[in-house]
Amino acid sequence: MIINGLISGLLFLVSLWLIFSEKLNRTIAAFLGAALMLGLGKLLGFYSEVEALSSIDFNTLGLLLGMMILVALLEPTGLFEYLAVWASRLSRGNPVRLLVLLGTITTVLSMFLDNVTTVVLVAPVTILMGEILGINPMPFLMAEALLSNTGGVATLVGDPPNVLIASAAGFSFVDFLTHSFPIVLVVWLAALLLLRYLFRKELSVQPSNPEALQGLDLSETLTDRVTAFRVLVVLACALLGFLLHGLLEMSPAFIALSAAAGALIWVQPNPSEVLKRVEWSVLAFFAALFVMVGGLEATGVLDALARLAKAAVSATPVLSGVALIWLVAGISAMVDNVPVTIALIPVIEGLASGGVNVNPFWWALVFGAGFGGNGTIVGSTANIVVAGLSERTRTPITSRQWNRRGLPVMLTTCAVASLLYVLFFPLFIR
Amino acid sequence: MLVRDCMKREVTSIRPTVTIRQAAALIVERHVGLLPVVDEHERLIGVVRLHDLMSLELPDFVNLFPEVDFVHDFGAVETTRPEPELLQRQATTLMEPAISAEEDCGLLRAYALMLHHSLLDLPVVTSDQKLVGLASRVDIGVAILSTWQTSDSPS
Repeated sequence: MIINGLISGLLFLVSLWLIFSEKLNRTIAAFLGAALMLGLGKLLGFYSEVEALSSIDFNTLGLLLGMMILVALLEPTGLFEYLAVWASRLSRGNPVRLLVLLGTITTVLSMFLDNVTTVVLVAPVTILMGEILGINPMPFLMAEALLSNTGGVATLVGDPPNVLIASAAGFSFVDFLTHSFPIVLVVWLAALLLLRYLFRKELSVQPSNPEALQGLDLSETLTDRVTAFRVLVVLACALLGFLLHGLLEMSPAFIALSAAAGALIWVQPNPSEVLKRVEWSVLAFFAALFVMVGGLEATGVLDALARLAKAAVSATPVLSGVALIWLVAGISAMVDNVPVTIALIPVIEGLASGGVNVNPFWWALVFGAGFGGNGTIVGSTANIVVAGLSERTRTPITSRQWNRRGLPVMLTTCAVASLLYVLFFPLFIR
Repeated sequence: MLVRDCMKREVTSIRPTVTIRQAAALIVERHVGLLPVVDEHERLIGVVRLHDLMSLELPDFVNLFPEVDFVHDFGAVETTRPEPELLQRQATTLMEPAISAEEDCGLLRAYALMLHHSLLDLPVVTSDQKLVGLASRVDIGVAILSTWQTSDSPS
């Protein structure tokens, strides 16, 4: 038993190392790990195909797939570009106003849609505006990534770790609105003010030709009005479904996939084009991680970890919660927050089966995984995407620049979140 | 007909030591779209295209959009010039690997190469990579179309 635990633990750690060190593409590394875990499990008798299959959380995968299809339909309509251009015209070239408007738009979009897609579509317009105004687009690009990472924490569908945690903990969309949203609102404002301060020098440069922005034609950006309207209507219905899913006794995955079906029927696009834009590698990565963690669970490694943690967390739940926020944030700053979340979920579940009230730890995991990604240039996919796009401008964002601005944002958001977490701890027990 | 029969034999080429500013001056003076880069033995080692120099004027961000029709005013982009120190760098920093054809390459193969790699000019080399000529799409296309006028064409 102990040998099996050691083998599965070692295999998991090696796979994580391969993922984090980027020696191997993360999906390939996870697939390899999953195959080895099941292979060894069958050989040594600790894990079977049936167990592996049942360890895959199809609720998470279904919700992600449904939302990805909606985004894939919305992507080519030009809606994101429309909103970004609208914001830039509204700012009339004032850099601070532009920062606030673009930051708000990316945040609101990323609360309901995938962060990366939002950033991928808004960042080019941001770069364009920087070039037209003759100002450095770096503050706006970084603000978009940092604020969308922060805003994504607010809702169940805002960020993949939230989907995972909600599914494991049984949290509803409304739970996120009552527990996470108010905290994120305060944290987000703090992040915005901090960004305003950190970029005070860049933002003080007033462009000499603000009127040039009025030359951006709004109507020409929204190339497919009809589809955009239809998908937005479906998305609104899906959000209503999420709000009521407890009452309706429907899983979020069912709502998201039904919405995707509804949108596909209404829009009738070329399905292969739409499905091409779905990020299958992400879904495959999730599934493979689930299979790996399932193996760890089967050997009892996670139970052992939970037993170890139990004594500490029962004695000092508040302190343990805050420690968890910072621990997860620290790890998520350096590596992808999805494997961290998937690995910690069974540990917290183990604590729960030991009789501990784990609700505060679920929320600590939400905050840590969400806000931690801001710390470094590789902390979240949105950061990597923004930095990659900035290489196509005159002023690429370097890792050092990110550390100077992103790290303070991460520390501040975690500090504010920790403070509110402690102050409103009774809220998180329920 | 082969590519050697329609290429230009007088080619303006540069050495790797030339600066970006000097390369630009040559392109302006000779009104050409491409400068082959050759070593001391006249062997082709790469090309510097007008397109590569233009990337310093118009950064790559334009390609992030499926179309730029909605941008009616390019604003500061129109007046932003590259930094002087950038122009002092060696032109080889912008050099692209040369896609070339040998002298005895058929015209349609040469044309297909250019289409495939989106080239406007094709350097022509000997079997030991010595630069001997340059053929543009127009040079090759004209040579091909001229065969349509021979006697066996329907009158």
